[in-house]
Amino acid sequence: MAEKIDPIHQFQLVKIGQPLFHIGGTEVVLTQSSLYMIGAVALITIVMLMGTAGRSLVPGRLQSLVEVMYEFVASTVRSSAGHDGMKFFPLVFSLFMFVLVLNLAGMMPYGFTVTSHIIITAALAVLVILTVIIYGFMKHGLRFLGLFAPSGMHPVMLVILVPIEVISFISRPISLSVRLFANMLAGHIALKIFAGFVVTLLGAGLWGIISPLPLALAVALTALEFLVAVLQAYVFATLTSIYLHDALHPGH
Amino acid sequence: MGKAFRLSSEFIAGVIAGAGLGWGFDALLGTRPWGMIVLMMLGFGAGIWNVMRASGFVRPPNG
Repeated sequence: MAEKIDPIHQFQLVKIGQPLFHIGGTEVVLTQSSLYMIGAVALITIVMLMGTAGRSLVPGRLQSLVEVMYEFVASTVRSSAGHDGMKFFPLVFSLFMFVLVLNLAGMMPYGFTVTSHIIITAALAVLVILTVIIYGFMKHGLRFLGLFAPSGMHPVMLVILVPIEVISFISRPISLSVRLFANMLAGHIALKIFAGFVVTLLGAGLWGIISPLPLALAVALTALEFLVAVLQAYVFATLTSIYLHDALHPGH
Repeated sequence: MGKAFRLSSEFIAGVIAGAGLGWGFDALLGTRPWGMIVLMMLGFGAGIWNVMRASGFVRPPNG
């Protein structure tokens, strides 16, 4: 047991090459994280461009993949944000595909999970909530603040309800980012720990007999992780649509 | 499990937002510890409100 098994090690950022440039005193370096993001965007772009290039009436493999993706996200946006929410379809679709591809890339052996870093998910959540706030104020002006005051309430109740609604609104980007980040982080750590058990048990003489147990668990967890990876991308897209619905219709 | 994660994160986010706001108020206005006490209470309320809304106990604000 010379090599210690460290389940956190997989989340370490690795610098690639020399610093690109400096901002203030901070150097900007390409990490494997940024490389994965660039790769994800490139992959999505290529698949989408190739899938939509043919535009045949009977779709080929790639085209039907793209069509299924489109229909799926479009129905999510329609059901959660309403028909006029379709003007935000490009945003939701980009977010969904970005998160989905990054989550799945993390499931590759030796892969790195970009979405297990809270700074990434927080940046995405802030993007969503800023869109909601800016668009809400642009479209409805000060009436957007009616979001915080449910109609038909007794004025005394409003004194308590308005602060709660405000905090509830502020908690949205937090829950949006923490959910995705925590799911990916916890899943990958659990996977690594069970895989580590297998190795440790095999190296412990007679105890090696029970090593298939954690191996079976690791296999089952892998399947679960694939489910979580897709599910979390879907949840992210759904919640984005729900929040955008508030920007479109702030009244209760 | 997805649902459980969703509900717990809704609640935790409410408390965190309340505590963060309270801490900010205290740092700005020098009212430590009252802002944190009051706003964290409200944060608990908001967290429960979030959970009730997410689980469908109360009608979502947008119908």
